[in-house]
Amino acid sequence: MNWQALRLSLQVTAVATLLMLVVGLPLALLLARRRFRGITLVETLLNLPLVLPPTVVGYYLLVVLGRRGPLVQWFGWQLLFTWGAAAIASAVVGLPLLVVSARAAIAEVNPNLERAAATLGLSDWAILWRVTLPLAYRGILAGLLLAATRALGEFGATLMVAGNIPGRTQTLPLAIYDAVQNRAYDEANRMVLVMTALAFLSLWTVRRFEASRSRRDRDESPYA
Amino acid sequence: MPEPRLLADFVVERSGFRLQVSLHMGTEILVLFGPSGSGKTTTLNALAGLVAPVRGHIVLDGETFFARGEDGRTLWVPPRQRRIGYVFQDYALFPHLTAADNIGFALRGPEKAPRVRELLERMHLSHLADRYPHQLSGGQQQRVAIARALAMRPRLLLLDEPFAALDVAIRQHLQHDLLSLHHELNLPIIYVTHRLEDAFAVGQRLAVMHEGRLEQVGPITEVFHHPANAHVAAIIGIPNLFQARVIQAQADGLWLDWAGLTLLAPPQALPHGVEVTAYIRPEDVKILYPDRPIVEAVRDNQVPARIVELRAQPGGHLVRARLPNGHEVEIRYGPHTYTTLPLQIGGDVRLVLRREALVVLGT
Repeated sequence: MNWQALRLSLQVTAVATLLMLVVGLPLALLLARRRFRGITLVETLLNLPLVLPPTVVGYYLLVVLGRRGPLVQWFGWQLLFTWGAAAIASAVVGLPLLVVSARAAIAEVNPNLERAAATLGLSDWAILWRVTLPLAYRGILAGLLLAATRALGEFGATLMVAGNIPGRTQTLPLAIYDAVQNRAYDEANRMVLVMTALAFLSLWTVRRFEASRSRRDRDESPYA
Repeated sequence: MPEPRLLADFVVERSGFRLQVSLHMGTEILVLFGPSGSGKTTTLNALAGLVAPVRGHIVLDGETFFARGEDGRTLWVPPRQRRIGYVFQDYALFPHLTAADNIGFALRGPEKAPRVRELLERMHLSHLADRYPHQLSGGQQQRVAIARALAMRPRLLLLDEPFAALDVAIRQHLQHDLLSLHHELNLPIIYVTHRLEDAFAVGQRLAVMHEGRLEQVGPITEVFHHPANAHVAAIIGIPNLFQARVIQAQADGLWLDWAGLTLLAPPQALPHGVEVTAYIRPEDVKILYPDRPIVEAVRDNQVPARIVELRAQPGGHLVRARLPNGHEVEIRYGPHTYTTLPLQIGGDVRLVLRREALVVLGT
């Protein structure tokens, strides 16, 4: 078992998940609650990584993270071929899954509840924390889990921007690729099993979240 | 009129709809009455600050919430600073919180617990404090919603169709509750409804809305008997409206005398001999088949009548019939009803003025 790759994978996924949450949650709120020009454009751009070849996403990321990209030019962040680049690649690919799910969950929250909270004297922040998020958290968590699992399995874009350096950027999917190339099938089998188990567990949990959500909605219907 | 507490004069414009409202009210219950789509809810939203008017002003107890003149300079107080209690039509209770937590939602500090307890008691909800909204009946949810709106000691209470989804007995109970609350708290209340019965049950003054305009504001009976224009007359005008005298109020029903015709209405506590206004919707006047047994639902209030008018209408038929007391009633029914009855002008029929549908509006 390549423990180093597993540890790195979890580290990359954790940071990617944090990035997705910070970017994705405000985006989901915006898309669920505001009507603005260009909303379709934003959604389409956001969903592109779902359908583009990973090499295309990786290529764009190379441009953005590269020496003439904004991160280096403005902040001096040299992320290419570090695990940080892997985290960013994973986040970009997982983000649409979070936003789609979180947006749907937020849109399901009756806007009258937020308006009622406003008339009761709550600020916008307090309404978000005490009404919107508590009511949408199941859908948000489900989306986050789904996105994290996608991030954990990221391969193509990661290979392009972070490379495949054992101990530094080699995540589990990359390690599996190496193992198969080197005909180390026992090693590959073990890692494949771990990946499959993690993905299965994640999807199982997501399903449970969604099931409890629809059950709760039935209970809440005032006309039930 | 009592001393004015709310002065509102504003215009709201949103996607093709224009709402113009000009009203002032004191410590009273004002009923905002009109068909759906006439702008009643938008008026409440503008007062609460959930919708922004394009110009005008809103002043409550001397404090300006909104002001915008021709020069475009705008004063705007957000909803959370207005202290206006708002009971939404769907109640908008927080589904993830118990009744007690809903009521205490806006409160904090040492004042919170006793205040919540007091409101639970006042609204007869103490035994339901730990229930979640989905575990409460419609009437109970309604009382939680009112308690929650009262928790922050509002200066104005807005109620949007508060009793629409409730059955008659609960509605009457809550209406009574609302009147005593109003009395206790000295609180101006705006009550939106499209049901005339509700307006009569709780209202002191009536404001009639039509297509985004306030057509008439005044004491209920005055608006009712002297509608300012054809719109108001059409909105509040109901066929089969009549004056009757109470003969006897019993537990099983209210006996009325309508110019010599004795009718039974649902029970209501009214003194003997008092004059009341009552009506029955044309859909609730039934024609009896002479050859069929009479079912329980149409046993009371049978009246012989003679048909004076017979007309096909979109969606059915309209019949006018003269009763033995000289008055006429309107009857409306669907296109496939009474097809086997030989109805014709001048023909004699037996009608039933459905007891349950006979609405007594009060004096």
